Amino acid sequence: MALAEQERPATLVDDPIPVALRLRPAQREGLHERFAPSDPSPGWDLTARSPRLARLVKSRRFQFFLILPNQIVFWTVIFVGLFGTVVPGLNFGTAITWYVWFCLVFVMMVVVGRAWCSMCPFGGFAEWVQRRTFWQRTQKTLGLGWKFPEPLARYGFLIPVASFVLLTWIEEFFNIAGPGSPAYTSWMVVGIVSSALIFFLLFERRTFCRYICPLSTLIGTVGSMGSVAGFRTRDREVCLSCRTKDCMRGSEKGYGCPWYTWPGSADSNLYCGLCSECYKSCPEGNVGLFVQKPLTSVVAPKRRRADVAWGIAFLWGLVLYQQVNATNGFASADSWLNRQLGFPHYPDPIDYIGFIVLAALATAGVGRLMATAFASRSANLERPGNFLDRLSRFRSFFAPMAYGLVPVVGADYFARQLPKFLQHATRVVPALAHIGGFSSVRSPIYSFSIMTNGWIVFTQVAVVVVGTMAASWSTWKIAGRELVPVSRNALGVRLATVGFVLACGAAAAVLYVMMHAAD
Amino acid sequence: MTLAEPLTTERPHAEQPEPGCHVTILTDRCAGCQECIVRCPTEALHLDPARWVVVADDAACAGCRQCVRTCPFSAILVDGPVQVGPRAVLEATHPSTLEGDTAELRPGFGSLAEAEAEASRCLSCPDPTCLRGCPAHNDIPGFIAAVAAGDLGQAHEVLRRTTVMPDICARVCDQAVQCEGACTWSLAGGTPVAIGALERFVADHAPVPPPRVVSDDAEGLSVGIVGSGPAGIGAAFELVSRGANVTVYEADDAPGGLLRWGIPAFTLPSEVSGRPWRQLQEAGVDLRCRSKVNPSDLDGLLERHDALVLAHGAGLPLRLPVPGADLPGVEDATSFLGRAKAALAEGRPLPDFSELSGRPGAGPPVVLVLGAGNTAMDVARSARRLGARAVCVDWMDRRFAPVRTDELEEAEAEGVEVRFATTLRSLEEVDGRVGRAVLSRTVQRRAGERPEIVKGAGEVQAVDVVVAAMGYRIDPEFAANLPGTPVRREANGVPDRRWQASGILANPAPAFARHRPVGRLALGRETALAVSALPFRERTWVAGDALVGPSTVVEAMAQGRQVARAVVKARPRRPGQSPDSRPLRVLVAYESLGGHTQRVAEAISRELADRLGPVTTLPLERVGPAELANCDLLVVGTWVEGFVVAGVGPAKTTRRWLEGLPRLPGKRVAIFCTYGVSPKATLPVMRRTLEAKAATVVTQAAFGPREAAGAGPFGTGPFGAAAFAHQLAQRAYPERVPTLLVD
Repeated sequence: MALAEQERPATLVDDPIPVALRLRPAQREGLHERFAPSDPSPGWDLTARSPRLARLVKSRRFQFFLILPNQIVFWTVIFVGLFGTVVPGLNFGTAITWYVWFCLVFVMMVVVGRAWCSMCPFGGFAEWVQRRTFWQRTQKTLGLGWKFPEPLARYGFLIPVASFVLLTWIEEFFNIAGPGSPAYTSWMVVGIVSSALIFFLLFERRTFCRYICPLSTLIGTVGSMGSVAGFRTRDREVCLSCRTKDCMRGSEKGYGCPWYTWPGSADSNLYCGLCSECYKSCPEGNVGLFVQKPLTSVVAPKRRRADVAWGIAFLWGLVLYQQVNATNGFASADSWLNRQLGFPHYPDPIDYIGFIVLAALATAGVGRLMATAFASRSANLERPGNFLDRLSRFRSFFAPMAYGLVPVVGADYFARQLPKFLQHATRVVPALAHIGGFSSVRSPIYSFSIMTNGWIVFTQVAVVVVGTMAASWSTWKIAGRELVPVSRNALGVRLATVGFVLACGAAAAVLYVMMHAAD
Repeated sequence: MTLAEPLTTERPHAEQPEPGCHVTILTDRCAGCQECIVRCPTEALHLDPARWVVVADDAACAGCRQCVRTCPFSAILVDGPVQVGPRAVLEATHPSTLEGDTAELRPGFGSLAEAEAEASRCLSCPDPTCLRGCPAHNDIPGFIAAVAAGDLGQAHEVLRRTTVMPDICARVCDQAVQCEGACTWSLAGGTPVAIGALERFVADHAPVPPPRVVSDDAEGLSVGIVGSGPAGIGAAFELVSRGANVTVYEADDAPGGLLRWGIPAFTLPSEVSGRPWRQLQEAGVDLRCRSKVNPSDLDGLLERHDALVLAHGAGLPLRLPVPGADLPGVEDATSFLGRAKAALAEGRPLPDFSELSGRPGAGPPVVLVLGAGNTAMDVARSARRLGARAVCVDWMDRRFAPVRTDELEEAEAEGVEVRFATTLRSLEEVDGRVGRAVLSRTVQRRAGERPEIVKGAGEVQAVDVVVAAMGYRIDPEFAANLPGTPVRREANGVPDRRWQASGILANPAPAFARHRPVGRLALGRETALAVSALPFRERTWVAGDALVGPSTVVEAMAQGRQVARAVVKARPRRPGQSPDSRPLRVLVAYESLGGHTQRVAEAISRELADRLGPVTTLPLERVGPAELANCDLLVVGTWVEGFVVAGVGPAKTTRRWLEGLPRLPGKRVAIFCTYGVSPKATLPVMRRTLEAKAATVVTQAAFGPREAAGAGPFGTGPFGAAAFAHQLAQRAYPERVPTLLVD
C-alpha cells in the first residue's frame, strides 16, 4: 500500500513535526456491534448534566478528599486495634471494620461499582507514596515502575481471587472477623497496606489493585451490577482518531489510567477505578462520568473473559464455603480432618481449598453439560491461545453463564455480612466513645440489635431471593443474546441456564436457614 | 509522491535463516486503542473486532518493536532478532601521505545500486522516530523510499522541504545521536539505516538547487541577518524564497561562519561548504562582510530593517583555567583551525611549525589538544597534516566522551594520540613559550558524572603548541542584551504525548547512539526550536548557537529556517512603514475547571473574531511557544482558586503556566478571570507576571457567576464578553476598531 494514500490524522496539524506522518487508519469494522449494547445513553452523562460535578471531578484534589476520611479511619483502626481495649466489641478497630465497613462496601459495590477503589485507603496511601504527592500531577515517582510480568498477568482477575481466598482463610484461621483479638485486625490491615506499598513501589500504576488486591475481582464483578458505568467516551470516533491517548499516557492535567483502561473501549464498569484521571487528562473533553441501568455491565458486554468467569466460579465456591462452615455437619467433618492431618484447628486448608475448588468445578461442570447438551454443531467455537485468549465450546457456554451468576454471588456475599451489621453495627458508637474512655459494654447501645435472629434470616433469604431474581433476568438476557445463536435449542438453553441460577439461589437460601438452625 | 512497497524484511543471506519473531499480546491489558496498529511498519498487527484486542501475525513481524515502544499499557512483547540485513559499510580512506593532504576521507555510496540496497533496509515507519531525531525533521522515510525507487530527483524534492544543506549535513552531522540513533532499528537494539550516507548520495548526485522565490508572503519585508553561518544560511534561504529583502552582516572577510573556518576540508570540502553562499549571493542576498555588529548597533539596525535575525553564533572559546594559559604557543581552536585550513588550502606549512621543527635536534612539533570532542579531533588531524605530532587529552572517560566513534577511529588511525581520563593541571614555560604540560589522571564512573582528578605528582608532557578545544560560549555582552538567552535545550514536565506515542522516548539510550538519550535530546532540541519562533526583543529573533549555545550545524540551520518563517508570519514593520493590513491572529488561552471559563473564553473568541480576525481558542496546556509565536494578540483567562477569602488568586495551573512563559517582548495581552465570590488579586497577579515577561497588558476583566453561568448579559451588558472584546480590540488596535459609544 502506498503510504501517502493513507490516513492523515486530525492531530497532524498540531504536531511539532511539520512534515508528513503516515499513520495507518484505525480499524473500525465491528465497532457498532461491539460497543452499542454496552454504551450508556449520551443523556446519562452526569458530568455533562451537572457543571458542579464536572468541576468537582476535574479538580485534582477530588480523589484525595475521597481517600482522606478513610485514611483517618484506617490509621485509627490500626492504632486502636493495637493499643486499645482487647474487648472486640468495644474496640473501634474491630467494630468499624467487621460490623460496618464490610457491609457498607457491599452496598457501595451494588450501587456504584468500584466506588470503594476510588477511596480505598490502602491503594490510596500507596499511590501517594508512589507518586510522591497527595494530589498534584508531577513527574516525580518513587519505585521501580516494573510492568507486571506477562506469564502472571495473563491470568488477569484470577490472581486477586487467589489472594482473596488466602486472606479469607487467614481471617478464619485467626478468627479475625469472628471477632477475635482486635490486634489481629490491625495486623491484617498493616499486612494489606504493606503489601500494597511493596507492589506500588515495585510496579507501575495500580498493578496491585488490578492484579493483587484481594477485593479487586469481588468488587469488580459484584460492582458490575452497579448503576455507575464509570468514565466512558462521549464520542468513540474522537477516541479512535486521537493520536496522543493522554488518558492512557497521562498529560499535564492527569495521570495515565492507573487501571489499564481506555475509555474508548470500556464496555463495563469492571475495570474502571473511578479515579477520574482520564476525565482530567482528555484534551478533547471527550470523557464523561456515565450512569446506566442496574445490571447493564453484567448483561451487555460482548467480551466475556475467562479469568472473570473462573473468578466468579471461585468466589461462588468461597461464599458457599462460608455458609456451609456454619453448619453442624461441616464443623465435625473439619475437626475430623484436622485430627487426621495433625492440623491445629479450623479451618483445615484441605477442606477449605477442596470445597472452593469443587464448587467452582461443579459450576464449570454445569457449563460443560450445557455446552454438550445445547451447542450447535455448526457453530465455530474453537480458537487456540493462552488462558485468556482461548475459545472453546465449553467456554462459550461457561463464561456467559458465570457472568449471569454474578447477582446471586453478590447477594450471597451481602447476606453473609448482614448478621454482623444487623446485630452489632451500633457498637461503633460506644467503641468510638471508648477511645476517649467514655463507654463500656454495659452501654445500652452496645447490646442493641437492629433485628432479632429470626428477622435477620428472613432478610438474608430475601436478599438472596432478590439476587436470584436479578440473576435469572440477567441470565435470560445473556442466554438470549449469546447462547441462543450457538445453540440447537433456543428455549431449552435459556430455561436450563435460568434453572441453574435458580438452583444456586435456592441452595444459598436453604443454607441460610440451615445456618440459623445450627445457631 | 510515489513510494516503494513497504520494505523488505528478508535477509540477503537467506541460506542461514535466523529465527523469526514472536509477538505476544497481553490481552488482559490490551485496550484495543490501536496505537500499535496505526504505527506498525509491516502491517503485522490487526484488531480482533469481537474482543477488541490486537492480534499479531508473527510471519509479518520485522522485530522492530515499534509496537512495544508505542503501547501505552505495555501490553505487547516481541521476542526474536530484528529481521533486517546488515548495514552497508563505508570505510574511510586513509591517505598514503598524510602531510598536506586535504582530500575528503569519508566516501559516499559508489553506485545507485548500493544506495538502493541500503535504502531497502528502511521500514518506512508510519510514525518515523528518525524524523523526530533529525533536528531539521527531514522526511527521512520519504526520501529513502524515493532512493529505493531510484528517483533521486524526488528524493531531493522531499529533502529540500526541510533542509537547505543536505550536502553539508550529510557530512558533518553526528547521525548516531540524531536520525540514525533514533531509527527504529537502532531503538530496537539493531543497526540503523545509513541515513547520513543516503542523504549524501542524494545531495551529491542531484545538486542542491539555488533558492527560488516560491511565494510573496514576505515581499517588501526588509530583514537583517547578523552572521552568515548555518543559522544565517537557513534563515536567508527561507526568507529569499518568500520574497524578502535580505541583508547579511558578517564580521569576517568571507561568509560561511563555522562552515568556513571551523571544519577542515578533509571532512567538508571547500566546494561543498561554499555552495550555500554562492547560491545566496546569486539569488541577490546583500552580503556585507567585515561588518561586525555589536550589541550597541542593534537599535540602529532596527531602524533600517523590519526584522532582525541574530545568528552571530557562540564563537568565544572557553578559557583555559590553568596556570600558564597565557604563554606564547597557547591558542584556541578557532584561531588554529582558521590558520591550519588556510595553510593546507594553500599547500604551505604553518610558520610557527616550521620554526619549531627547524630548531637544532628538534623533531616534529608536538601539539597538545585540550579536549577530545569533534573540534579537538579536527584540530589534531589538521595538525597531523601540517607535520606535527598531535596529542589529545580529555578528562572524560573514553566510554562517555562526546565524540563521533568514526571520527575518533579515523584520528587514531592517522596517528593522533588520544588520552582520555587525563586532564591538564598546568602549562610551563621553556625558552619564552609553552614547553611543558603537567597532566593528571581522572576517574569517571558514569556518564554525566563529573570526572574526579586523581591526586599525585602528575605526568609531564613536552609540548610545543597547545590548542584549547574544550568548547565555546556565547558572547556575554550579546547575551546580556537578549534576556532569556541562552535557551536551555531541555523539555521539562510531562513529555509531549506525540513524542511519547512515536516511541522515541521509550528506549532511553540505544547502544548505537553510544548510549546517549536520543529521545530526550531530540525533545530538548524541539523545545529550543519552538522557542526560536518567538522574538527576544521587539522585531528581533535569535537563532543558532547565539540562541542555545554551542550546538550543531543542522540544528542552527533548522532554527534559522524556523525564525525566518516566524518573521514572515509576524510581518513586523519598522517605524514609518505603512502598517500591515492583514487580519490579526488572536489566541484565546483559558484554564477551565467546570466549563465556566471555557464558555466565557468561547464567547470572547466569537466577539473577537468579528472584530479582528481569525481566533484560536485553546486550553492553556495546549499553548506552547509555537502557538504564542503564531498570534498577534493573546487573551488569557482563568478560574479563580481559593477558599472564599483565603488564598484567592489565579488557578495554580495558570500561575505555573504564566511563570513558565518565555519572554514576550511587546506582545499585546488581555486577561480575564471567572469567579464565584470575589476575584480578589487574581488579575493583578496575572498582570504582574505577564509584565515581568515584557508583555503589554492592554485590558482586563473579571466575570462574576451570573455572566460565567451564561445567565448574565453576554454580548449586551457593559461587563459582558462583547464589551470586553470591544474594549480589548480598541485598546490593542485603535487604528482598526472604531470607537463604540456605549449607552
